[in-house]
Amino acid sequence: MPDDLVLELKKLIIATLKLEEVTPEDIADDGQLFGTGLGLDSIDALELVVALEKTYGVAIPDSEVGERVFRSVNTLAQFVKEQRTKSN
Amino acid sequence: MRYDETELRVRFNEVDSWGMVWHGHYISWFEVGRMALLGKFHLLPQDFTQMGYIAPVVDLKCVFKEPARLDEEMLVRTTVLKPTKAALTFRFEVLRKSDRKLMAAGEETQVLLTLDGRMLYIIPQDLRQRLQPLFDYLEEPDSSA
Repeated sequence: MPDDLVLELKKLIIATLKLEEVTPEDIADDGQLFGTGLGLDSIDALELVVALEKTYGVAIPDSEVGERVFRSVNTLAQFVKEQRTKSN
Repeated sequence: MRYDETELRVRFNEVDSWGMVWHGHYISWFEVGRMALLGKFHLLPQDFTQMGYIAPVVDLKCVFKEPARLDEEMLVRTTVLKPTKAALTFRFEVLRKSDRKLMAAGEETQVLLTLDGRMLYIIPQDLRQRLQPLFDYLEEPDSSA
């Protein structure tokens, strides 16, 4: 998986959710995004879904898909990559 | 942005031992405003349930400007922001009817869940269509301001 996509996604998360004290280096590639780990909540998920749709054209319809996709930045990057491959 | 208005009168049980409306009651008044607005568009909780959704509140803010007192008439003004994500944000103002003085203002955000507990990350098309008349109404100029 390209490192630049993982880094790009970390920057997107930080910018979208205005995580002022967080740098990309603070977010582990395999670390939990929700609950423990980065500590994001369901409202953060809604903001991220909009940003991901605008930036990558990917749709995450509900929490059932979100649970899998948002497990970590790696799983998110994998999802974006899969969706890009489908649309190509 | 247009605000819908509804009226109520301060009741005895809403006043605290200092003679002013207890802060928690303003949230109930927001609910009066919300139901009055949504009822016009068949978007009451039972309508949501019939469509297969519930919309729990996940965020709530309120500022208190002036204390309301027993038997005063209040105007509860309610609007809904056009959603930029799968959430509905309501804004409320409580004005004293006699002089339209702002007594309190607040905001509530609701997310959307299916009846089996899945949180929706995108507003479904059927709900978008049901919400559109509400947003069309709220885009009309506010003649009551």
